[in-house]
Amino acid sequence: MLLDPGMDLTLRPMKYPHFFDRFKDAIKNTWTVEEVDLHGDLADLAKLSPAEQHLVSRLVAFFATGDTIVANNLVLNLYQHVNSPEGRLYLSRQLFEEAVHVQFYLNLLDTYVPDLGERTAAFAAVENIPSIARKAEFCFKWIDSVYELRELKSKEDRRAFLLNVICFAACIEGLFFYGAFAYVYFLRSRGVLQGLASGTNWVFRDESMHMAFAFDVVDQVRAEEPGLFDAEMEKQVTAMLEEAVECEVQFAEDLLEQGVSGMSLSDMREYLQHVADRRLAALGIAPRYGSGNPFAFMELQDVQELSNFFERRVSAYQVGVTGTVSFDDDF
Amino acid sequence: MQVRKRNGDLETVDVNKIVKAVERWVSDLDEVDPLRVATKTISGLYDGATTAELDKLSIQTAAELIGEEPQYSKLAARLLAAYVDKEVRLQEVASFSQSIRYAHQQGLIGDETATFVRRNARKLDDAIDLDGDLRFEYFGLRTVADRYLLRHPRSRLVVETPQYWLLRVACGLSATPAEAIGFYKLMSSLAYLPSSPTLFNSGTRHTQMSSCFLVDSPSDELDSIYERYHQVAKLSKFSGGIGIAWSRIRGRGALIRGTNGKSNGIVPFLKTLDAGVAAVNQGGRRKGAACVYLEPWHPDVEEFLELRDNTGEESRRTHNLNLANWIPDEFMRRVEADEDWSLIDPSDAPELPDLFGEAFDEAYRRAEKKAVKTVKARDLYGRMMRTLAQTGNGWMTFKDRSNALSNQTGAPGNTIHLSNLCTEILEVNNDDETAVCNLGSINLGAHLTDGAVDWAKLRETVRTAVVFLDRVIDINYYPSPQAAASNPRWRPIGLGLMGLQDAFFQLRMPFDSPEAKELSTRVQEEVFLTALESSAALAEQFGPHPSYAETRAANGDLHHELWGATPAQSERWAAVKSRIAEHGLRNSLMIAIAPTATIASIAGCYECIEPQVSNLFKRETMSGEFLQINSYLVRELKARGLWTAPIREQIKRAEGSVQGIAELPAEVRELFRTAWELPQKALIELAAARAPYIDQSQSLNLFLSAPTIGKLSSMYLYAWKAGLKTTYYLRSRPATRIQQATVSVLSPAEACSLENPESCEACQ
Repeated sequence: MLLDPGMDLTLRPMKYPHFFDRFKDAIKNTWTVEEVDLHGDLADLAKLSPAEQHLVSRLVAFFATGDTIVANNLVLNLYQHVNSPEGRLYLSRQLFEEAVHVQFYLNLLDTYVPDLGERTAAFAAVENIPSIARKAEFCFKWIDSVYELRELKSKEDRRAFLLNVICFAACIEGLFFYGAFAYVYFLRSRGVLQGLASGTNWVFRDESMHMAFAFDVVDQVRAEEPGLFDAEMEKQVTAMLEEAVECEVQFAEDLLEQGVSGMSLSDMREYLQHVADRRLAALGIAPRYGSGNPFAFMELQDVQELSNFFERRVSAYQVGVTGTVSFDDDF
Repeated sequence: MQVRKRNGDLETVDVNKIVKAVERWVSDLDEVDPLRVATKTISGLYDGATTAELDKLSIQTAAELIGEEPQYSKLAARLLAAYVDKEVRLQEVASFSQSIRYAHQQGLIGDETATFVRRNARKLDDAIDLDGDLRFEYFGLRTVADRYLLRHPRSRLVVETPQYWLLRVACGLSATPAEAIGFYKLMSSLAYLPSSPTLFNSGTRHTQMSSCFLVDSPSDELDSIYERYHQVAKLSKFSGGIGIAWSRIRGRGALIRGTNGKSNGIVPFLKTLDAGVAAVNQGGRRKGAACVYLEPWHPDVEEFLELRDNTGEESRRTHNLNLANWIPDEFMRRVEADEDWSLIDPSDAPELPDLFGEAFDEAYRRAEKKAVKTVKARDLYGRMMRTLAQTGNGWMTFKDRSNALSNQTGAPGNTIHLSNLCTEILEVNNDDETAVCNLGSINLGAHLTDGAVDWAKLRETVRTAVVFLDRVIDINYYPSPQAAASNPRWRPIGLGLMGLQDAFFQLRMPFDSPEAKELSTRVQEEVFLTALESSAALAEQFGPHPSYAETRAANGDLHHELWGATPAQSERWAAVKSRIAEHGLRNSLMIAIAPTATIASIAGCYECIEPQVSNLFKRETMSGEFLQINSYLVRELKARGLWTAPIREQIKRAEGSVQGIAELPAEVRELFRTAWELPQKALIELAAARAPYIDQSQSLNLFLSAPTIGKLSSMYLYAWKAGLKTTYYLRSRPATRIQQATVSVLSPAEACSLENPESCEACQ
């Protein structure tokens, strides 16, 4: 069983090959911070209205610590309890990706916030910006909920662990980050902050994979122990997502308080509810809100991109490629 | 909710007012719902927004509905045109001639064009087509508004409308008002567009209108290398794309006699070039771009192939440079025969870059005695393939074929050393001469009537295009003396084609069908033939280009004959040959199929000779993100009652493919295949079939979703054997993708597919 206590070291025979496939796919998506060109963003920042500048500064402050929190939970909880060497391979890879994201947002803040005092304040957002502090508290609460568990011995332990996994996948990566991505893509749909958007694009791709892996883990555990995920747990998950939506809505109130044309608070709330419903659906739980997606620019994110090199760097290329020279393959 | 007007007053937002503003533009757009645009606009608004914000938001809102109904693209374009128009009028510019006068006062327009317009103000003002903007799609007009229209130097407000812009471009290249109006009408109909530098700069104070510059490799010394940095910066500043060879520079470890030290090779110098290119911003309109060409015998070739990797030592990476391999046939032969390949330092064999064909083969074999290193030819070829798969870069271009068929290599000593940034230009150059080419492309989709190509219209367009491409050569501002030295001598032009896919869709020809290949070949023959006729006519009037005696045409050999192709229009060919024999040609080269990335967007057609990449995709540009939907497909689906939300979602989920839509008959699905779904062999065969009628080359992208070394090595060997001179990007797709945020989530039961059995609880 996947959550049996221990440190399984044997990759053959492989029990969870789909975890290993995810590991291999993730490697093909390797990107580095140096590939992201932020130089055009500074000129854009100067052009933004004060309301939009406020939005951006809050947003990057959230990014400054968001990925670090996820990485911490991965090390403290996930890695410990997912007892599959191939699963841990994926998690190691995820940890690397989180580190790259942290580096990206570090680089971003260093570039966007030249004033040293402001920069320090941005990095300390968890402490001094209430709307971000509230989100952080939510995260810490769920990290702490399983912190004492060194081994998952009982059904209750495993439930507690699943809630932690679901919290990070559905609420933090799947909702907080999706909220943040929406702001970035809103700005990109207006043609500004391309550097932020292209880096975020890659972060988004990685985060999608992290979330999918975590849901894979949840599905696996449910398949192995069908009774675990009961009605009580569904209720807890729904309540957790409700709380996450509230946290994110109060963050949106802060970001949008000065009025941003094209992104109203009511649309943002509807979007967050829509995303929350999707997370519930992925877990086989009935939707809580029944909201649709009001943001057409988010639909654009589901569509294949075509960049031309005069504009920006193409982000689609594969990093892992296999095979040997031959002359009679089909093409 | 209230909005703030330009005079500062607050006004309550009125849905009806927005509805009225929209209704003005929808008489021919029956699927547009003005009320929907209005209410959606208001829902995105905040209290106290300005009326300008409201206008912009309504444009954006209309654009966001394109995915449901493509007619909203036209609506968004028209709202944008109205917005631009208002901005221009607010500066008290009410006519074309006033716009030119105002822009001239601001130092934007050149004196000659200003004078020309002042003298012919009435005629030119009357020529403006008031309905011209109705033809634009949103993405095209957005691009024009954000990057092509001249702006006031301080206020940054646009000082010309889209139609004024096109007439300004025409006036910058014309001697008489009639000429200007004729050229303007052609461009305004979107049947032909010159390349971006011409659209940016014609009629302005800096009339740099050429797209491409081909710079020979610096010679193997520091002064020459730094001269090249300087030249590249100057060329780049005025919107030119740069190709530069680097094969003459000695490799890592070679002795430097002056200091008795060892060279660090080409990589550190290319790193400097990389930074230089990135620093030049082409007037805020786009970043500079360059491609470096290296021959595969160069000792640093393996490091060269790693320059775009995204891992490894940053000091040895050049993220802004494009890379191309300039490959002699001898290399490909050895790859095929699985033989060794020698890497030779250019300081030991400085003659190699200037040789091609047998002369190169002999010199290369002689120089192999001094080889720095020997590798298996296949190993190196495999690395080239890997670079293509990983970065899309490291384009395969073939030196011998490029030289052997070129009109410019008729006399000894003239060699093509590289291609350009987009691998469609092939022109001779040397240390003192930097090759230049100015481009324009015909929109083939706009040359169809009653289900067939309108050959007379096509000929007429070619004739006009050749005259104005030739005109650029004399009016052009040359940013470097080397460029100024080359272009008047050779007078090459690059007439291209776009919208081939539009023509195939309109004529219902699958891209890989024999009819499609035949049509594409005949179109290309017509374009080349008419271009030669036009150039011969110009030669009759103004004399042949000064280096005409050095060309193969002067010996009676035309490109398709060198290729060994049999044309269809033998009588016209015979006639043009005798005309050339009598008067020569005004231009040494005529045809090049450029990628047309931006101008195809403006014209609202598919790029150059490419198949569609997807039935549904988005473009990300400096102007933002734009949904592109295949309107031919939408028409087809609507006719079949299949343009529904579930089908739209299905197409989105399939990343723009319609192959899974069972309701569509097989032949319709075949027609609407994407580049990823077509056999690439067919793309290569189409390219090879039209190639006899392209005296330069074509930017040929190839597409493999999941490339392997085996597929790539087979494909590029095939391309070489087919006789192609050059290829361009290898397009591939991301290994994984972002989780779709808006298509519905599969419930666990549906997710239980054979592909993913272990995550399905129902099966266990």
